[in-house]
Amino acid sequence: MGCEVTTRERAGIINPMYDCQPAGAQYAGIGVKDCIPLVHGGQGCTMFVRLLFAQHFKENFDIASTSLHEDSAVFGGHQRIEDGVLTLVRRYPELRVIPIITTCSTEVIGDDVEGTITRCNKAIKAEFPDRKVHVVPVHTPSFKSSQVGGYSECLLSLVKSLATHKAAPSGKLNLFPGWVNPGDVTLLKHYLREMGVEGTVFMDTEDFDSPMLPDKTIHTHGRTTVEDLQGSANAVASLALARYEGASSAQYLQTEFEVPAHIVSTPYGIANTDAMLQKISEITGKPIPESLIRERGVAIDALQDLAHMFFADKRVALFGHPDLVIGLAEFCMEVELKPVLLLLGDDNSRYKKDPRLLALKSKVDWDMEVVCNADLWELEKRVKAPDTRIDMILGHSKGRYVAIDANIPMTRVGFPTFDRAGLYRHPTMGYRGAMLLGEAIANSLFTHMEYTRNREWILNTW
Amino acid sequence: MPMVLLECDKDIPEREKHIYLKVDGEDSRDYLPVANASTIPGTLSERGCAFCGAKLVIGGVLKDTIQMIHGPIGCAYDTWHTKRYPSDNGHFQMKYVWSTDMKESHIVFGGEKRLEKSMHEAFDEMPEIKRMIVYTTCPTALIGDDIKAVAKKVMEARPDVDVFTCECPGFAGVSQSKGHHVLNIGWVNEKVGNIEPEITAKHTMNFIGDYNIQGDTQLLQQYWDKLGIQVIAHFTGNANYDDLRAMHRAQLNVVNCARSAGYIANELKKKYGIPRLDIDSWGFNYMAEGIRKISAFFGIEDKGEALIAEEYAKWKPKLDWYKERLKGTKMAIWTGGPRLWHWTKSVEDDLGVQVVAMSSKFGHQEDFEKVIARGQAGTYYIDDGNELEFFEIIDLVKPDVIFTGPRVGELVKKLHIPYVNGHAYHNGPYMGFEGFVNLARDMYNAIYNPLLKLAATDPRATLSTPAKEAAE
Repeated sequence: MGCEVTTRERAGIINPMYDCQPAGAQYAGIGVKDCIPLVHGGQGCTMFVRLLFAQHFKENFDIASTSLHEDSAVFGGHQRIEDGVLTLVRRYPELRVIPIITTCSTEVIGDDVEGTITRCNKAIKAEFPDRKVHVVPVHTPSFKSSQVGGYSECLLSLVKSLATHKAAPSGKLNLFPGWVNPGDVTLLKHYLREMGVEGTVFMDTEDFDSPMLPDKTIHTHGRTTVEDLQGSANAVASLALARYEGASSAQYLQTEFEVPAHIVSTPYGIANTDAMLQKISEITGKPIPESLIRERGVAIDALQDLAHMFFADKRVALFGHPDLVIGLAEFCMEVELKPVLLLLGDDNSRYKKDPRLLALKSKVDWDMEVVCNADLWELEKRVKAPDTRIDMILGHSKGRYVAIDANIPMTRVGFPTFDRAGLYRHPTMGYRGAMLLGEAIANSLFTHMEYTRNREWILNTW
Repeated sequence: MPMVLLECDKDIPEREKHIYLKVDGEDSRDYLPVANASTIPGTLSERGCAFCGAKLVIGGVLKDTIQMIHGPIGCAYDTWHTKRYPSDNGHFQMKYVWSTDMKESHIVFGGEKRLEKSMHEAFDEMPEIKRMIVYTTCPTALIGDDIKAVAKKVMEARPDVDVFTCECPGFAGVSQSKGHHVLNIGWVNEKVGNIEPEITAKHTMNFIGDYNIQGDTQLLQQYWDKLGIQVIAHFTGNANYDDLRAMHRAQLNVVNCARSAGYIANELKKKYGIPRLDIDSWGFNYMAEGIRKISAFFGIEDKGEALIAEEYAKWKPKLDWYKERLKGTKMAIWTGGPRLWHWTKSVEDDLGVQVVAMSSKFGHQEDFEKVIARGQAGTYYIDDGNELEFFEIIDLVKPDVIFTGPRVGELVKKLHIPYVNGHAYHNGPYMGFEGFVNLARDMYNAIYNPLLKLAATDPRATLSTPAKEAAE
């Protein structure tokens, strides 16, 4: 009994859980308003990531490429950065931010991104003296870290480049939720409103769920503005809700501008959400309002109907972003689900020392395995092993065939969830997120019971 | 002035050479758009890379082959779950992708050992699989890993496996087209001719340039079965690796996608004297013509006519039902390249649909020669179109439906224009007679979707005046 932390032993990967760093950087970049990231690399590095975002959100996002061709591989690609930046600035008059996101090829070639940006700034100033376009270097070689680190790196680069000095205190709270869905951003903003706290969510992706309007205008873009990023230095505090995707920016603002950084458990489940709200209350002096206690109660009320009747002793495998997987494991234990297998998909050595994982280790009284640097083959092998029993898989769509082939119910959560409709719209964080996820898990189990004729008659009356 | 400089391109005037508006009575020899040329950085081009042209489009279709991608994880992650090419063995090729997961130390010290280890592991983990393609990517090509030497070593250690290597990093060429070429030529040079197929029919052919999108290959296979023609290799829909090693034994190469696979047909002609016959597999008119050509080659015209008659009897009334309702529809095609010339005349002949704008990501000039010959006057022909150009072209031609990829589809949705997936289809297959009825049905359902009318309606506009004032 107890929790064992292992690492993938194979050198190669079969079915990756995460994309590479530039993909994560692109996701952070599209969260900014009036911003088109320019990816410095081959065209596939952009085209496929745009497709991935489109698959998940069913929306189009603007990301440009320097279209690295053979000549650049030989002679260097800095000219293509300059051409790309100027083409964007000329053709998109509203543009205010261009993150230059490097890739494996351009890091190997060793293009001088910072030097090129200096030249770009001069050229922009000469041609457009009335415009200020922030060209931001983002170093994300694909052979380091993963989409998780890439998200964090781009966010940090944007903060570093734009939050350059401290002005009058804004009284606002910086919230760094990490790579989450628009539904989570909406929930966090709702919490801030209910508590009467002014705050900024980095990145504000609420409009990634955008409408079809009679006037045909397109609103699919990030809402985080240049001013928001600049103002992050004047905040009353930063709250990093994601240790691996937001903490570095919070820490930077603390070191550079003495904005206190608080790293809290990612608010998945009831207790983690309580802790987040308590922290916000502690920082701002604002009480947690009755309305949120009611929301909390509605969620607990709903989950109470599910826990000991349907969830208890069900063995769950989880995979996805590290803060999500760890947070959902904690949530599972609140509702009597047994997380028995956690997969984290890159070589970050800090996962093993994560305080939340250490706490889980001390708590579980069943066999639990955490596989670091895992791929989905690690999941598939364990699921298929004759002596293991997994009753439910929680993860993103890339693992769909593991569940389909093994005939195990799977609830989609995380990124990407392209094989289910509309999930990005709903929160996973907060009381409401816990409730919705719990109900999604229950409904997956119910459908599976019916489909496999396994005690489906229980639901004849419930 | 049939070459067009759009308003959005005033700062990149070189784009004028890539956009052609066909005008009645002019000599199209004078106005061929520049194609297969370097992309302008920062234009939001739709192009992919050469690696994906090799792996995602051609090699990755093989249903019994490990696709070992030697590079960082993204190249594997991104070329997985992006295609709809099923197979008759449970879709092995859609379920898995393999990567050597290159990290910084391997970039510094070389990745050959890691590749070798990953190859052995992959064969060990899936012992029933004996075939593999290894691809280089941008960084492993830049550091000069010798993947051919590694493949040789692994094959020596494992006599029952066969490995093909494809050296086609993402920065090669200007688009995915380069990857098609590299894989074609490499395959014919290194793998064709080293396996002898079992010949079971008097007539044999290879069917080249069809990737079993939503079952295209399997649908067409019914025709070849009825004609008694043995298909030695499908390049590469629903195909096994070893099928493609036996391509030299076919009597005829039938080519559908000339852009992605014409190269191998040319090589097979040169090396083995196998004639090349190009057909179009989309559309009634074209499919019938293709069956007639193939039947004529083998001297089985009666069988061919019987098949066409049978298929027409079965599907033509359904097609005509849609034609009645689609006549006059304005369609745009923004896909890879060849589907422009495959589709423009077939939708016109079979469905009465008018194609008003076409954009190709990776077509070459010969693709534009074909499509301009087949297409109509008043139509825009665009090479490597970008997002702002698409907006402007939509304003100019006002299409009723656009055949394009899902991401652009989501973009044009906001403009109340429905899209049909021109790459992976909505509900295909689209090839053959039955398939073209599917295409017509999907186009019909897209255009007549009641939501489009609702989207364009502002409910406030129909309110009575006092309610309107209250709303404001």
